[in-house]
Amino acid sequence: MNKDLNMKVNVLPVLTYNFLRLNDSTILASDIRIDSFESPKLNVVPAGVTVESSVDFEKAGEVFRAYKERIQVTTGVPGDPNGDTSYRDKDQVLRTGMGIDVDEFMTEVSAKADIYTVDEGVKVSEPLVLHYDLKDGDGNVSAQVIHAKKNSEITLIMDYNSDKDASGFLGISTRILAEEGAKVNIVKSQLLGNGFLHFDDMGGACFEKGAINVIAVELGAYKAWNGCYINLSEKEADFNSNIAYLSRDDHELDINYVADHRGKKTNALMQFKGVLMGEAKKTLRFTIDFKNGSSGSAGDEQEDTLLLSDNVVNRTMPVILCQEEDVDGRHGATIGQLGEDLLFYMQTRGIDEEEAKRIMIKARLESVARMIPDPELMQKVIYFIQGIV
Amino acid sequence: MSENKQVVNEIDHSMYDFKDVENEQDFYRLKEGLSKETVLKVSEEKNDPDWMRDFRLKCLDIYNEIKMPDWGPSIEGLDMDRISSYVRHKSDMKGKWEDVPEDIKNTFERLGIPQAERESLAGVGAQYDSELVYHNVKDEVAAQGVIYTDLESALRSEYADMIKEHFMKLVPPTDHKFAALHGAVWSGGSFVYVPKGVKVEIPLQSYFRLNAAGAGQFEHTLIIVDEGADLHFIEGCSAPKYNVANLHAGCVELFVGKNARLRYSTIENWSKNMYNLNTKRAVVEENGIMEWVSGSFGSHTSYLYPMTILKGDNSKMEFTGITFAGKGQNLDTGAKVVHQGKKTSSVISTKSISKDGGIGTYRSSVVIQNSAKKAKASVSCDSLMLDSISRADTIPAMDIRTNDADVGHEAKIGRISDEAVFYLMSRGISEEDAKAMIVSGFANPVSKELPLEYAVEMNNLIKLEMSGH
Repeated sequence: MNKDLNMKVNVLPVLTYNFLRLNDSTILASDIRIDSFESPKLNVVPAGVTVESSVDFEKAGEVFRAYKERIQVTTGVPGDPNGDTSYRDKDQVLRTGMGIDVDEFMTEVSAKADIYTVDEGVKVSEPLVLHYDLKDGDGNVSAQVIHAKKNSEITLIMDYNSDKDASGFLGISTRILAEEGAKVNIVKSQLLGNGFLHFDDMGGACFEKGAINVIAVELGAYKAWNGCYINLSEKEADFNSNIAYLSRDDHELDINYVADHRGKKTNALMQFKGVLMGEAKKTLRFTIDFKNGSSGSAGDEQEDTLLLSDNVVNRTMPVILCQEEDVDGRHGATIGQLGEDLLFYMQTRGIDEEEAKRIMIKARLESVARMIPDPELMQKVIYFIQGIV
Repeated sequence: MSENKQVVNEIDHSMYDFKDVENEQDFYRLKEGLSKETVLKVSEEKNDPDWMRDFRLKCLDIYNEIKMPDWGPSIEGLDMDRISSYVRHKSDMKGKWEDVPEDIKNTFERLGIPQAERESLAGVGAQYDSELVYHNVKDEVAAQGVIYTDLESALRSEYADMIKEHFMKLVPPTDHKFAALHGAVWSGGSFVYVPKGVKVEIPLQSYFRLNAAGAGQFEHTLIIVDEGADLHFIEGCSAPKYNVANLHAGCVELFVGKNARLRYSTIENWSKNMYNLNTKRAVVEENGIMEWVSGSFGSHTSYLYPMTILKGDNSKMEFTGITFAGKGQNLDTGAKVVHQGKKTSSVISTKSISKDGGIGTYRSSVVIQNSAKKAKASVSCDSLMLDSISRADTIPAMDIRTNDADVGHEAKIGRISDEAVFYLMSRGISEEDAKAMIVSGFANPVSKELPLEYAVEMNNLIKLEMSGH
């Protein structure tokens, strides 16, 4: 199948000045070859986990539809105060970071989802690993649904890789439901070739004391879009994310993360560590949204970006929305090049500027890479980073 | 918070909410709505030069083409067909206070303007509805060559070319719909020129009063601070409350020369039926300094983001703002800055308080262009929620296009800390007083930037009356 893409994605939860062109992003591409609609299969399915393969994307949404009232996907109407855009995604069975255009695309191309269900109380000790080994010219569109029942725990690692000069297309949708006390760890490593176009959309809902943790390392592809929308719908739900990215040459990276606090005493932490080189362009939107009823909640969004070339474009929108009195919302950003004091310190220890830069890039990216719970993949990511720097 | 909490009262607007009985025969009022005829009529009233009349008509075309903003607070309640663009008293502008018509004089007396002029200002302009009714500058300031006059007079003076060169060049009518509207029907406002090297020791002030119901005020303020000069300009605004919407779409253009400094302070207290869609912009040349102090307390709906273009190398900007959104208010405020010159620096520091269902939004943009090597930008915005029916949003944006820049950003949203209240109470201070102290302390970074008498006015405005239950 060859497909033209024209999708509006990563729409900010509330709009701002149009002149900044930050309110959303467009995926525009023509004649994209897609030859696979399936996720990689597991060699071994652990006890307590059921995998339902190749379910129609739309039908896989039944998992969330069954909990419609608790997930509360529908909010807002056009014209809501402050340019609220939630009405746009009101028909999504589960809101995702990139939004409804991805769902519609998945349905249109008849993408298939694999549904991983973890039985109540089952804690899967070994991570499940999906290897996307893509070759030059490959096109894959696939989806996953992870349904962790009460007090269960699962770790899913998704490893996207190809030769470094390979071209192709990879479109992913990952939707997660963490029931009461359940914990879902998602690890994504993106080491795609320099000619890849890539999008990776995530959405999740956490019930009482449920938790979703995301670790992601974004290092490849010439154009990449990431979205993640986590609905902390019940009390003491938790969302923790650690993202490292490196964008270089003329690559473009566009990210939209949202923590939607609805339950009481919910927590979200979003940490981004990035490096921009060459003529790379990066846009990061991240939002903490304290809805009515989320009293006692805390949200923290942090960004640390190292700019290593004078031709990079670094755009950031750190949004905090708040309709609740008893909350603690924080944002912090540090953006710039290596400080002169730090370089001087390094030089006094015999480390020249180039070496100091290499050390700092590695330190930044590897701090997240080392969180990858699969030693082999972790080493692969670290080698990839070393190869670049 | 417990049920037994203190009450932080909303801002007391009653001191501004008196209506003067306007005798209809004393006032000239254009019929409501906006059309080519309306614009031509305003132009005729102002005795515009030809270029200005043509400019107004061009702006009307642009207004009709540009869509309403799709971001920010709703302005659906604003119906231009029910807004009169021009209302004026039939008397002319006066240079002596005693010559100002009695009814208007009473209004400004009650607002304390003449007293302030006597005690602490170098000059005063007072606008009532669409026209300036009084303009005066102290002799010693005029002797320094400082021009402080209404814009219409300046358009017919030796400064006409200077105005033509600068008018709506910084805020072009294509900027947004209400900038175009302003260009079409602007009336009143001040022109200030501070010559090279002149330092005006005490502030100038313009006060804008919109007394008519269902009317718009579209004053234009144009300030040019020449090389090495220094000025503090204060702007105050108020209006009585009516049940119909009023509109304020003013425009402020500030030109800060090489090594010059301009401080622009605003205490905005429009009534709660006001749509405040104001545009303010400054361009700063080499080593120049632009300082904004902005207090937003009134209005039903506000869109207000003073913008600074740091064009010259080493130019600097500081923005200190506070917004208090109470019942029925949706105040969308913040600042914008564009760094163009080398070693430019900007510091934005804002405080926002939301109460009784009020919506306070901090919105900003920091743009660092590739040319702005060694630029530094720092943004800090704190929001305080005083209850759970209100809303406080923080929507900042950063666009950085050089690696040779240093940008920091911090935002916090929260409530009055229980620990801080407990600490103060453990020192013998009552809960009510403790909370009042904390809220006053929260607002303090802004009030300390104002001249004493305006800080007092701001504190009066906030009137954080505490009472226990």
